[in-house]
Amino acid sequence: MLTVENVAVRRANTLALEGITLSLAQGRTLAVVGESGAGKSTLIGAILGLVPCAAGEIAWAGEPVRTYRPSLVMQEPRRAFNPRLSLRRSVCEPLVAQGLPRDEARLSRLCQGLEIQPDLLDRLPSQVSIGQAQRVGILRALIASPPLVLFDEPLSALDAVTQKHTARLIAELQSEEGFAALIVTHDLGYAAAYADEIAVLKAGKIVEGGPTAAFIDRPQTEYGKSLRNAAFALGALEQVA
Amino acid sequence: MTIMVRGLSAERSGRTILYPTDLDIKPGERVGLVGASGSGKSTLGHMLIDTLLAQGHSVAHVPQSPDEALDPLRSMRFHWQEAEQALRLPADTDRRMALFEALRIEGGDLSKRPWGWSRGMQQRFVIAMALLGTPDLLVMDEPTSALDPVVAAQMMALLDDYLAGGSTALMLITHDLGLAARRVSRLMVMDAGRVVEDAPSERLLTAPQTQAAQSLCAHRNWMKLPC
Repeated sequence: MLTVENVAVRRANTLALEGITLSLAQGRTLAVVGESGAGKSTLIGAILGLVPCAAGEIAWAGEPVRTYRPSLVMQEPRRAFNPRLSLRRSVCEPLVAQGLPRDEARLSRLCQGLEIQPDLLDRLPSQVSIGQAQRVGILRALIASPPLVLFDEPLSALDAVTQKHTARLIAELQSEEGFAALIVTHDLGYAAAYADEIAVLKAGKIVEGGPTAAFIDRPQTEYGKSLRNAAFALGALEQVA
Repeated sequence: MTIMVRGLSAERSGRTILYPTDLDIKPGERVGLVGASGSGKSTLGHMLIDTLLAQGHSVAHVPQSPDEALDPLRSMRFHWQEAEQALRLPADTDRRMALFEALRIEGGDLSKRPWGWSRGMQQRFVIAMALLGTPDLLVMDEPTSALDPVVAAQMMALLDDYLAGGSTALMLITHDLGLAARRVSRLMVMDAGRVVEDAPSERLLTAPQTQAAQSLCAHRNWMKLPC
């Protein structure tokens, strides 16, 4: 289980994150929603150990998170790869880094689950569509069987149809593989459809959190209400009589 | 004035990216141009704008990226004054502040160049410029793509107020059918450089005929929730 307890992150003279406490169990999905600059990506950096915490503790099963090699799916899929390496070499980088053998059967099964044609992996990042690149990014994140996968706006570069298709593939693989997923997104519709719990981040603080259904039904803060109302106004969620 | 264009088409590197397309848009009509990434929506938008300007129509354009609208070497104040002068409008601080407040960019420093503003603020500034006048057609290409949802919803409400009862027609270009569905009376679906379906919104949403439209309708939103 991921535990984040009373974490603060300082940037220059201000607190980018303050008093952040949350938990995420194996196999579950937590969505962190909020506007640009709220601190969502900083939180991911802190969990990965890339951003030092000024206070608090972050752990997986009581040990430093980095021990368990969590992986990250980035927002801009084509920028997430070395442009000069074939996608196959990029996908296998986590295995090389961790000294793990290449399991062709697992690679093949993940490719099937993510609807990636095997020959696609022999191309360069610039030679595939953005949707294909993001599915390969997810493949790379899962190849070494991490217990925790962090998704930083994983769908925002994709079109609406590809977004929903990719979200379904992620959810199907999660139910097979059992990893914990922390999804940072500004899209409450995505969070509502796939997260077990939602945490609302505003100006570096979690202002509201809890089970997804309860939040969508009855947000407790004005900001939570404005997020929900915006999702309806923009057609991400639809009310039916 | 009804907008009427015939045979819009485009090629890139010898490949057809927009097949010959005819288009009629009535004054005040709200049209959604929807389709997957790469289907040719922005190309049609650009070709339409060029053709209409050549015909003498007035057109306002909110491009997909503010980079297409803002000169990196000019201050935001210069851009604003240029827009007012192009529309032959007198400088009006109250009008500017009303638009800026509605789009939550009133705190932006006009003496800065575009890169002194965040991407989302740049996009809202371009939207504010587009809403200064009353053109024959307002083309908005993915206008919410760089905006947070709360700000995006406010912007769309402002757009509804701006268009209400006026003669300015709207072409809303988006990959997101959910965004367009409730705001336009007519939907055009693009696929591989062709308009494959063009119908009143209600009809297209309830009975899409083509595979591209059916796919968009099936992925219109994330969840349907009871009221």
